[in-house]
Amino acid sequence: MSTAAQTHVKAGKAPRTLTDKAPRKPWTPSQIVLTLLATAVSAVFLAPLVWALFTSLKSETEAVEVPTHWLPKDWTTQAWQAIFETGNITNWFVNSFVVSVCVTAVVLSVSALAGYGFARTEFRGKNLLLGLVMTGLMVSPAVLGVPLFTTVQQMGMVDTYWGMILPQCAPAAMVYILYKFFQGIPRELEEAAFIDGAGRWRVFFTIVLPLSRPSLAAVGIFTFIASWNNFLWPYMVTNNPDLMTMPNGIATVMNSYGIQWAQLMAGGLMAGLPLIVVFVFFQRQIVAGVAHTGLAGQ
Amino acid sequence: MAPEQMGQGMGRPGLDRRHFLAGLGGLTVAGSLGFAALGTGADALASGADTRVRYWNLFSGGDGYNMIAMLDAFRAANPDIDVKDSTLQWGSPFYTKLAMAAAGNRAPDLGVMHLGRVTGFSPGRLLDPWDVDLLAKYGVRQADFNPELWKRAVVDGTLYALPLDIHVQLCFYRKDVLKKAGLLGDDGKMVAVTSVDEWFDVLKEAKKATKKGLQTIGMWSSDQNFQWWFFVAFYTQLGGTWFDDADTEVTFDTDKATQVLEFLRRHVTDGYSDPGFAGGAGAEQFVNGGPFVWEGNWSVPVFDGAKIEYGATPLPPVFGKQATHAESHSFVLPHQADRGGAANEGAHQLAAYIVQHAQQWAAGGHIPAYTPTLTTAAYQKMNPQSEYVSAMDHQATEPKVWFAGSTGILAQRVGPIVVSATLGSAEPDAAARSMKSTLTELLAMKNPMDGKTAAQGGAVA
Amino acid sequence: MTTSAQTVIAPSRARTAAAGATVRRKQGFQHGGWFVAPFLALFALFVIWPLLRGFYLSFTDANISGDATSFVGLDNYREALDDPLVWESLGNSAYFTLLVVPCITVLAFLLAMLAHHIERGKWLWRLCFFAPFLLPSTVAANLWQWLFNPGTGMINFVFGGETPWLTDKSYAMLAVVVCTLWWTVGFSFLLYLAALQGIPAHLYEAAKLDGANAWHRMVHITLPMLRNITGLVLALQILASLQVFDQAVVMMDFLPGPEGSTRTFVQYTLEEGFTSYRVGYASAISIIFFVIIAAVALARMWLLRNREEGGR
Repeated sequence: MSTAAQTHVKAGKAPRTLTDKAPRKPWTPSQIVLTLLATAVSAVFLAPLVWALFTSLKSETEAVEVPTHWLPKDWTTQAWQAIFETGNITNWFVNSFVVSVCVTAVVLSVSALAGYGFARTEFRGKNLLLGLVMTGLMVSPAVLGVPLFTTVQQMGMVDTYWGMILPQCAPAAMVYILYKFFQGIPRELEEAAFIDGAGRWRVFFTIVLPLSRPSLAAVGIFTFIASWNNFLWPYMVTNNPDLMTMPNGIATVMNSYGIQWAQLMAGGLMAGLPLIVVFVFFQRQIVAGVAHTGLAGQ
Repeated sequence: MAPEQMGQGMGRPGLDRRHFLAGLGGLTVAGSLGFAALGTGADALASGADTRVRYWNLFSGGDGYNMIAMLDAFRAANPDIDVKDSTLQWGSPFYTKLAMAAAGNRAPDLGVMHLGRVTGFSPGRLLDPWDVDLLAKYGVRQADFNPELWKRAVVDGTLYALPLDIHVQLCFYRKDVLKKAGLLGDDGKMVAVTSVDEWFDVLKEAKKATKKGLQTIGMWSSDQNFQWWFFVAFYTQLGGTWFDDADTEVTFDTDKATQVLEFLRRHVTDGYSDPGFAGGAGAEQFVNGGPFVWEGNWSVPVFDGAKIEYGATPLPPVFGKQATHAESHSFVLPHQADRGGAANEGAHQLAAYIVQHAQQWAAGGHIPAYTPTLTTAAYQKMNPQSEYVSAMDHQATEPKVWFAGSTGILAQRVGPIVVSATLGSAEPDAAARSMKSTLTELLAMKNPMDGKTAAQGGAVA
Repeated sequence: MTTSAQTVIAPSRARTAAAGATVRRKQGFQHGGWFVAPFLALFALFVIWPLLRGFYLSFTDANISGDATSFVGLDNYREALDDPLVWESLGNSAYFTLLVVPCITVLAFLLAMLAHHIERGKWLWRLCFFAPFLLPSTVAANLWQWLFNPGTGMINFVFGGETPWLTDKSYAMLAVVVCTLWWTVGFSFLLYLAALQGIPAHLYEAAKLDGANAWHRMVHITLPMLRNITGLVLALQILASLQVFDQAVVMMDFLPGPEGSTRTFVQYTLEEGFTSYRVGYASAISIIFFVIIAAVALARMWLLRNREEGGR
């Protein structure tokens, strides 16, 4: 039953996967023009990253030499060595990882439960609460940073992992996305299970969750990216350089004593490359995840 | 960003983190992955030392390295005192942490602040006074400090801050370029300048000797903090004042201010300072062979690292009198309801030790506040530090009011006006008037920490 | 959690089938409070409570030390309306939004058309256009700070000239905009691409049979089919752009930019709260900002509803 249901749901509701495999076609003039155009645009998009890479392989003095030049005259990895030897960058990397993994795990659990609760169960005040969640869509650390900070401060969570993680764990948007998705699952599937004597929780775990894998993956991927890249909140809530995440450490600590561009670029690549490498391997899932999460706002 | 802008970071010690870990131990992912970082508070408790001093400092980078070396030296000399230092980073919530820790009675035994911020930080309520006798016991006396500097640390007759250093704005110059331009004296130092005209003559000669594509002087012309600091320096050279003694009247002299603003502006209009290199690129131009840059003394390690031939003097006394902008890192005692006992004495001892052993600190370009250090042979040998040590006696500082201090409200409100004049989007005289009206507004403003205006605050030493 | 689940399941099993098929069916969907409880707990602590607290603080003269405060009524709001920096920073955020939103929408659409119509190496183009979005905002900002850096920056080197991108008030915001376009266009691009691929092919085939040329097909099929997604992209971008902070502060070394030209609204609230210690006032302007954001979001919902009704 579950297989049939899965295919059903996939065809009906899941996002269309952005397929890579178009049939081979001959090179028409228009295709040649498009390819050239795409190459040019891609070059523009990648140039900043390439420039960062070259800069990181120069000495600090060569990096700021006037006039500037693309390729290092003396290739050196001193900037890369320096960030590993003197900086806290490995700490930051671990912190980013811990925070993003925790945030993703908590967000997935609570928003799947809540999305299902709102979509499929009845309880007093549900509509009111749903309205409240919609209000939550408009609240972010950018909008209410100061009161949120004083709240977290009162809880004694400034400069702790908890202070960084928990406030990122109540994303109304993710609940809303999963709520919409669960609403789309045919009720009959669950009703059949109830008649067979299954309880709500079992139905949720054995029928609903397996059907929702693509949506959950989408939410998870999106949450991970957002959390890995989050700057504002970790910036507000941490001062201890040992506890900082990558984006925060690079922007605050590495910038603080006169910018050393080669090191800064090396650090930036360290922060950015993991996701880009992951993207190369899991492109299909990530693209579907981001597109699906975004499209769910419709 | 310069250390000036970084303020002082304060944070919570590890105990609370452990507490939360215990409370929320169910989240095992965090537990297993993050224990190393979360549990850092435990080792300090476990150590066998008699006295534990918790110390929050804000120094990272080269300063952090120097501070840790000094702490280690202290630890080696005083094995019975366990120093638990937390290094924190400048960031917006930073004073919040110190303030709330002090208000909530969770403050560390010792902290660091910019001296200019002390007045605004509710001394007496959020800061505890220093025990001068205890400091004397550990070898630190008022007589060992520049009197003006000491005065800034005193609020209502009580010492609330112990200065560690002063950090000043300097005129860095390239010896190789100045030599070519004939501007280097026999002693290998830049020729003395005593007037505006002389200064622009120097720039004129230097420009001729400068490589194409480089500006003559970098002066952070678009940066509200630096421009404000330079303004303070030159305005002080002119003998300008800010407020009367009671902090009830604005005594700001718009004519003098106009003179300073015109002077700053002229660097741009005469083509010596290129607005295109207005920010941190000024230092890069200097490394590439630009003859001058005005920078904080914290650039010393940067230029040392670039291996260039350079010297540094205080900002030129173009208006006749020596004066250059100075701020100061100082030790403070965040308020603890039950301050006293061994931890408090340990905090005094530690602060006194570091102040007296600041030779290493000078490597970061800062001028040690403890004057006996300045006459030692070791310090005299340091270059260019020994060349600008005289800045200690010619400090130009912001007025001593609650809204002043490193990157405080004053700099935030007035700095942009100076920039607008320097870059030419406002006429110098109009900018001077606008500065005066801003100062008037600020004087009427209430300090959010205690609801008092500058006059009511009675922050006059 | 397991325990409570089991106890819930047990009674429904115990019953005999015949009597209560409908009852059980209904019950299965009842008492869902436990499902939403964990989320609501977090939501209450970190969204609702700060919101209420911010509202409360906005009527007080609270400072950052968190000790006793007094009630000041509407003073903070009155002051905010008179505060030139409130208007200036709001203007800066609005200006940023005005520049970014149309550019990103058009650019994302064009990139999506390109990637959609190209037949070879689709994954590669997608990777190139989307990759910047995977960088942290601060890294993107540092990168562009370096690219715009006077003297050593690649932008002036490649395009010639000596434009003072980061130090002149008329260029600074543009520099932030350029950085933002590069960094975030990939997200909207993916949305457009997904939407393009969702347009049924038979529409185009039918149009071809009717003799419509490529231009007509775009105007009469593609664009109308993309209307919904364009509305979404616009809404998401407007809301995100109004809340701009990261890129601007990092590119300007945590200062408000030359003559305050890149001080965004978010930045101003943080300055008031953490530099000036004025938590009460900062809360008041945060609440004003919240109202603005909410108004934009509600306006969109209202537009959507109107359109749906109009369509029926």
